[in-house]
Order: sequence, then structure tokens, then C-alpha cells
Amino acid sequence: MKITRRDLLVWSAGATAGLVFTPVPYKLLGDLSIWTQNFPWIPQPAHGPVDVKESSCTLCPNGCGMRVRMAAGWPVGVAGARTNPVSRGALCPLGFAAHQLNWHPLRLRTVRHRGQASSWEEARTAFSKACAEGPIVIIDGYPGRAASQHFENFVQKQHGVYRVVLGAESRALTPYEKWSGVPAAALGYDLENARTIVSFGAPLLDGWSTPGRFTRLWAERAAGMAEPQLRLIQIEPSLSRTAARAWQWLAIRSGGQAAFAAGIARVMLEEHLVRASGPMPALTLAESAQQSGISPDAIRDLARMIVAQSPAVAIADDDDPAIAALNVVLGAVGTSGGIVQRTKRAKSYLSAEPVIPSARAVLIDSTVPWDFVPQTDAEVFRFGAWEGGPNKADWLLPAPGFMEELTDIPTAPTSAVETYAVAPRLVKAPPEVQSAVQFLGQADPDLMPVDKIIHTRCENLFRARTGTLCAQQTTPVATIPSVEKLEEQLRNGAVWMGEPQHPGGVRCKLSDWPQATRSECPPCDSLASWRAPVLPPLASKLYQESSLREESDRRNA
Amino acid sequence: MNARRNAVVFGLGLATALLAGWLAFPRALYTRQNQPLAFLHKTHAGKSGYAECGQCHALREDGTFGGIPSLDTCTSCHSERMGTSADEAVLVDAYVKTGQEVPWLIYSRQPANVWFSHAIHVRRANLACTECHSTYGESDQVRIYEKNRISGYSRDIWGHSISRIHFSGRHDGMKMNDCEDCHRRHQVQVGCLGCHQ
Repeated sequence: MKITRRDLLVWSAGATAGLVFTPVPYKLLGDLSIWTQNFPWIPQPAHGPVDVKESSCTLCPNGCGMRVRMAAGWPVGVAGARTNPVSRGALCPLGFAAHQLNWHPLRLRTVRHRGQASSWEEARTAFSKACAEGPIVIIDGYPGRAASQHFENFVQKQHGVYRVVLGAESRALTPYEKWSGVPAAALGYDLENARTIVSFGAPLLDGWSTPGRFTRLWAERAAGMAEPQLRLIQIEPSLSRTAARAWQWLAIRSGGQAAFAAGIARVMLEEHLVRASGPMPALTLAESAQQSGISPDAIRDLARMIVAQSPAVAIADDDDPAIAALNVVLGAVGTSGGIVQRTKRAKSYLSAEPVIPSARAVLIDSTVPWDFVPQTDAEVFRFGAWEGGPNKADWLLPAPGFMEELTDIPTAPTSAVETYAVAPRLVKAPPEVQSAVQFLGQADPDLMPVDKIIHTRCENLFRARTGTLCAQQTTPVATIPSVEKLEEQLRNGAVWMGEPQHPGGVRCKLSDWPQATRSECPPCDSLASWRAPVLPPLASKLYQESSLREESDRRNA
Repeated sequence: MNARRNAVVFGLGLATALLAGWLAFPRALYTRQNQPLAFLHKTHAGKSGYAECGQCHALREDGTFGGIPSLDTCTSCHSERMGTSADEAVLVDAYVKTGQEVPWLIYSRQPANVWFSHAIHVRRANLACTECHSTYGESDQVRIYEKNRISGYSRDIWGHSISRIHFSGRHDGMKMNDCEDCHRRHQVQVGCLGCHQ
């Protein structure tokens, strides 16, 4: 029998039809999709023993405790560490996916000089020349670290200047420093003992400060309760996530926070709800109501309720002297459930202004946010692990990424108790990156290295014999046999927690109600001003696709 | 006549595809590899007196799973040859004396972005080891490791039935669907981050 072309076509048609009833197409589809995940240019963690390391997050100054799952020495997952006494097992979405950041396409890997590829040698030469010629300014984003001390030591020897760029949560505490003399770095909110929190736009339930601290507290004392033990009153123009979950949301007119705070203070003083411990605001109640968009009756009711449900504290979303003055009137400064001094060891820092008039060179650490753009004629050396957007840096210097360098974590900016942790280097940094500390160490080899500074700090903690070490078990420092043991535990993820300070010690001298409020910052709430930083893919998905963070034009839609 | 001939040829094509798809394809898709050593579970359990899987495959204090015991565990008995088998010679000469870990082929190896806690499934859910690992630990049979040529993962991940059709309703593989099915049956819900941390 002769096989014709038609037979072949019919046979093929039969075979094709039959193929549909086999697992071949479906299985191949699945396997090929997995194969595409294993293309050689896609970074793959090596297969090997799985281990879990405890450390602290270094993406912001709050240092939440985290457990890093390592496969063959590479981080493949991050989760919150319940042993951390402040973050209590919670992390922000960015922290959860931070181990992916080191492979981000925007990772900086080459030294760039005015947009052109350059080398570390040329950068060092230029920096040494700048050091010899004139004053140096070093700008730090997370003050108080061992690296910060390294920077301060360097500028001291070079007769330079050390400045810091503080986050909004730290800036909100600066008015108290001006009025009491106690450094803002020593102050914190005693939220654990408060019964009422009046938040002026601070995103308390949406990533404010150490995210786990308030969200856990709120879950324990307020969530789902008809009569919560902790009342959160959100004063904000729009229905943010915090406002939506707060006990009460007052939709204030944009920019009316200061006037509203003045109105509450006036009612408290006029009705003698509080001891007269502060100045009377110049604004009348009617003016406050007009500027804030809240009726005088509502302001009166709120003022009475705050006093009835004390201890109460007002939290600003940024440096706002009027809100700080409200706390003074309320008697919330230096008292339990208010603003407390957590340590006597902190010092004051001078904030960096964008305009830097007289400097030969400015070195900006990788901890400084990318939106800080210095306006200066000086030569700018900008460290960064990731490309953060347009900048005016003359030198763009690739810094170690997440978990790629040893650092220590001083107390989170808003914490009521002093803490200290060490984030060890869990991943080897690529050879083409250097931290600002390494860079300065090469310029001046006599500087004390970071690991020695950390050791010295551990010695100080050990000698003081106070506080406890929080790990799987909580151990009083007094029972730890040696400083080496203490340092070893800190490097393995334990967190030192100081003794809670007795309230008092902060006395604000405020004779006049503050006039100028937020001259440099336009009225805004923090979510509207939030901009997406460099995000790892998972966090991008969480933040952007699932609208955990809404874009400002979508809100109130 | 033509119509009948066409039907026969079409049927032949259909039958060829069905045979190739159901019989030849699974054999061609997987390579078969032997483990580096023939480890005898039953013999070891009998000689050591261990009755529980967790006595060798222990959970660490922090809840992480120890997995396959390290070479040190083997060395405690096999520092010198204990028999005359070829595998015994390989174990002692190639691994124990050189200190190199035995490169076991892991049937359950998953991508590193999947987090699975043995502690939660064993301690909290009270699942027996045999629920997922069958009675393999009670036999002296050494299983062949079948590796998918395309995806690179073990056949245990997809499951032994190439169609993934199970009339018993029980899962056979370790795909995400299998995890979801089991969780649905036990009415335990976890979100995306439950496994993909």
C-alpha cells in the first residue's frame, strides 16, 4: 500500500488531536515556565545547608529585629524576630523583601565621576586633594552609629563639619530640645503608658517609626474593642489607612494642624482643664476653627476628652512647634505616657541644611535619603548602594548593600527605652563597592575602625552592668560573664535594652506660643509626600500593585 | 473507501500520540540517577534502636529542620569499614576519611524562595512523617532519583502520576497546588507570605 502525502497529513492531524489528550503540552508548559526562571543571567542562590541568622534591619534607623533565612550562606528570606523588644516580630513590607535589594537592577557597582565611569583610586585622589585644600562636610543619615563616630573623628582631625539629616519622626522631637535643652536624640514617646494618642498626620498604623511597636500595641489595646484601652485620634486631611483604623478621625483642613493644636490648647487653658504650664495661644477659638475647618464645639469636646482620657500625648508628623507646644500645655513632656527622656548619654546633632555655603568637599553617606540634594559649589562625594534618582553629586560611589557591612544600631528615634544592637555582615560585599567608612579609613588609616568602636561600646555596656540582653532568653547584663560573651551575643542578633527611665528630667521653658510653624515645609501629610524609594520586586508588588501605599491622586477617589 | 482509509490513518496518528504522550514522554522527560550510597533505612533503624524518624531527622532548638544527618553522625559508627559491601567502602574511603559530606540527591528540593517549616507541620498540625514521605523510612529499598531534564527538579515535586490525576483525592507531589489542597482539607489558611517569605 502506497503512503501518500494525504496520509501523512491525516496522520499528523490524528497525532495532533491525540496530543491534546496527553500530559505533554501541559507538562511542557509548566516545566518550560520553571526553566525560564532558571536562565543563567537570573541570580540563583546556591543550594546548600539552610540556616537562620538573627540580625537587625539597616534600611532605616529603627533597626527592627529580623530573622534571615540563609541557603548556602546567601539570604533567601527575611522575617521579623519576635525577640526584639521594640519591633516585636514585625517588619515593614520593604524589610520583608530587603534581601532581594542586592540584586536590584539599580544597584550601583561602578564609581562615576560626573556621569563618566571612574575608579576608586581617582576618587581617593580627588578626596585627599579636597581634604588638603579646605573644610570637609560629612553628612550622615543615621547618627549615633559606630560609623557616625568614625565620621566625627575624621572631621575633627580635618577641622571639618559633621551634620545629620534626620527623619520626620526625629524632627518632630526637635522643638523640645530647643525648649528644654535635652537633646532630641534622648527623647522618645512613652506610648506603652499612654491612654490617648492624638496623631497630627503621623502614619502610626502605616509604617511610623518601628512599625511593630505601635501596631502590636494597638492590636493588644484597641483593635476591635468598643471601649479601647488606647484611643488613637487621627487629625488628618484625608482618610489615610491610619485614619481609617483610628478610634476617631478628624478631617482637618490641609495646613490647619497648627491652628487646631492652638485651639485645643486654648480650650484646655481657658477651662482650666490642665495646670497652666504653658503660654496661651494667640489664636482665638473661632480663628482656630476657621483655619482648621473643625467646629469650635468639636475642638472643645476633643480637648475635654483628651484630658479625661489622660495620659495623652500628641504626635506630629514632622517638626511642628505648635503641636509640641500643645504637649507642653497638656503636661505630656517628661511624664509617664508622654514624651520621656530615655537616656542621659545622647548628644545634640546639627541638622544639615540643603544650602552648604563654604566647604571644599561634601561627603554624603549612603544612609542619607536621595531627596537630600545639597545646593553647594563644593565637590560632592555621594555614597549609595542603589541609584536613587537625579542628583548633583560629582562623585557617585557604590556602597555596600543590605547585610553587606558590619554596623551597629543605636536606639530607634522614638523609642522610650534605650536599645543597642549589632547587625553583622551576613553577605560578602562585591569587590567593587566600599563604604564611606572604608573610604575615610584609607584617607586616614589612624582612625579607629568600626569593629573596634563597637567593641568599645560593648565594653561600656558590660562595665555599666545595667539592662538586659534580649535573645531567645532574656538575660540581665550583670549575669553575663565577659565582654566577649556580650559582644558575641549582640553579633548573633541579641538586643541590649536599657532600664526604663523614670519620667521627669525634661522641663520645657516656653513663654510664648510658637508663631512660625513649618516655614520650610509646605502643609502636607506624610503619605501625600511619600515617594517610592528603590524597592525590591516583592515590596514593589506589595506597595504598588496591592495599593498598600496609595498614590496621592487616588486618595479620596 | 477513501473515508475509511482516512479514518484508519487518523486513528493511527491518534494512537501514536497517545502512546508517546502517556508512555514514552514520561520516560524521556526524567533522567534516572542513583544515590551516591545505598542507605538502608530499615537496617539502620533496627541496629540503632531508633523508632522515630525525628531521632535522626531532628528539629533543632530554634524550630528549623536538621534534614539529613551530617557526616559526623555516620562517622560515629563508620569511622572504619563495618562490612564488605562496595557502598561501605565508598562511604568510608570517599567521605568519612576525606571529611566530605555525602552529596545526597534530595527528592524534596524546592526553589529557595519557598519556606516550609517541618516544625509547624509536625508539632502544630500533628502530621505524621508518613503523610508526606510514605513508609519509605521503614524499607531497605533505595529509591531512584528521577530528575526533570527541563526544570531540574525531582519527580517527587510533580508527583509520580504524570497526569496528576488522583482518584483517591490525596496529593502525590509537592507543587503549590498540593500545598493548597492539603491546607484546604485541613482548613488552614496561610497567605502568600506564609510560604514565600
